[in-house]
Amino acid sequence: MSLVLVVHGGGGSNISTDRKERMRQGIARAATEGYNILKEGGSAVDAVEGAVAVLENDPEFNAGCGSVLNVNGDVEMDASIMDGKNLSAGAVSAVRCIANPIKLARLVMEKTPHCFLTGHGAEKFAADMGVPEIPVEKLITERSKKHLEKEKQEKGAEKPDCPKNTGTVGAVAMDCNGNLAYATSTGGIVNKMIGRVGDSPCIGKTAEEAAELALNYMKSKLKGLGGLILISKTGDWVAKWTSVSMPWAAAKDDKLQTGIDFGDTKIVDLP
Amino acid sequence: RFCGAGSIDMSLVLVVHGGGGSNISTDRKERMRQGIARAATEGYNILKEGGSAVDAVEGAVAVLENDPEFNAGCGSVLNVNGDVEMDASIMDGKNLSAGAVSAVRCIANPIKLARLVMEKTPHCFLTGHGAEKFAADMGVPEIPVEKLITERSKKHLEKEKQEKGAEKPDCPKNTGTVGAVAMDCNGNLAYATSTGGIVNKMIGRVGDSPCIGAGGYADNNIGAISTTGHGESILKVNLARLTLFHIEQGKTAEEAAELALNYMKSKLKGLGGLILISKTGDWVAKWTSVSMPWAAAKDDKLQTGIDFGDTKIVDLP
Repeated sequence: MSLVLVVHGGGGSNISTDRKERMRQGIARAATEGYNILKEGGSAVDAVEGAVAVLENDPEFNAGCGSVLNVNGDVEMDASIMDGKNLSAGAVSAVRCIANPIKLARLVMEKTPHCFLTGHGAEKFAADMGVPEIPVEKLITERSKKHLEKEKQEKGAEKPDCPKNTGTVGAVAMDCNGNLAYATSTGGIVNKMIGRVGDSPCIGKTAEEAAELALNYMKSKLKGLGGLILISKTGDWVAKWTSVSMPWAAAKDDKLQTGIDFGDTKIVDLP
Repeated sequence: RFCGAGSIDMSLVLVVHGGGGSNISTDRKERMRQGIARAATEGYNILKEGGSAVDAVEGAVAVLENDPEFNAGCGSVLNVNGDVEMDASIMDGKNLSAGAVSAVRCIANPIKLARLVMEKTPHCFLTGHGAEKFAADMGVPEIPVEKLITERSKKHLEKEKQEKGAEKPDCPKNTGTVGAVAMDCNGNLAYATSTGGIVNKMIGRVGDSPCIGAGGYADNNIGAISTTGHGESILKVNLARLTLFHIEQGKTAEEAAELALNYMKSKLKGLGGLILISKTGDWVAKWTSVSMPWAAAKDDKLQTGIDFGDTKIVDLP
């Protein structure tokens, strides 16, 4: 079976050239990490958790450290993970003061009879599991503070077709047993109301056609822009978006492809 | 008035459910049948007076939240700490507007708060104390948790702490969730679902009820659906959207319901139930749990049932 690992760093626009380079490097690092896990025989779940944790730790992306801020300047994060082998799933919403929500989502999946914990119930569970509590300042960056100030004046981010929606991070993987998994993690929408939960926690055609149909439906029905990454059960993968850009990377057959805008794909060999 | 006197003669339809379960005493079954009939009649009257499908499902579900016999609002099951945390969602099939709340405490009607999220915020889903802050900002009264707790819910928690059966997907005792689906005089569809969750659940546990696609879905082009049963299983298969997917593939409401519920049962051993109205006004109530209180109002007739084969029909005034 072909090992496949695809990650995305969220749709967005108006990204400076310098920042695009940092994002491309971050996305490449995450994909390489996830692919290495697969090559060492790790499961698809291990790989997507590992890849997303890299992006949560990277301040350039809207997840974990670098999350956008809510209306109060606080960080509330959502994440989910799912094992295609048996449909096991774990999710957390509105969690604060932890470094890696995707790891907590995995603990929900594996250590509880539930699929989804929220708010301070999720935080209590984290403490019970020995997950370190970190001061919120460790998650806040200069960029996220400036972004909030700007949004409080412009109020564009709530609109479905706002191109600035620097979404969410995510990964999909196929492992050596043909098992599939996904992981998604986010700080949400800038200036969101306290306790706002987005899509991240909530799971014929070729992969390409399916992606296009679904994204175009959301755009025509609701004017909603976005993106997705997908691996079909045959190992075919796709990265597609209707937002202006979406940092993405795909590792397969020891090659790494990365991109941010339409048509700027780069390919390198993986060691 | 939402509908004028010269409206197209779309059939008004209102279906409610009171959650799958088992081992219900005869007395309690009678109280549940009356409660479900009351909720369906309330919702149907809203439709007859020209109210929208959203008004009708909100009204019907609020009746069940206020009724202590059902696992929603007052009468909700208790979490591991003996506390009440509630989830709810609502959706308008006309434009896919949706509103949801999870893990909310100390309010009487989570479905009304979900509707406020849909109509008064740019978001679809608020949780925990953010949802409670929003409720306060909207002037929703805070009520002491004791008003939501009943003798039955306290006894149920004690029993579950010993037996630990409720977490299992095929546990027949899962007295689910309440819900309603409606078609109004303009052919618009809507759903509403509300629950106290699973007895003895962890603090902050969220089930399918507030997650659109799982606890319910409404799209005028396909149908409206509300689900009940083992929440974790319903989430994993996205039961509501899965059922509507089968309708999109050309199945009848009956076939779609059966396919989706059987998939959840065979794949995950998860039991549950659902109510569904297709865009043509055909409705169905189906369940794989032992029983599911349900009622359907259409053409001035009210049908009610709890177990297989015990449907009763009365005329509505």
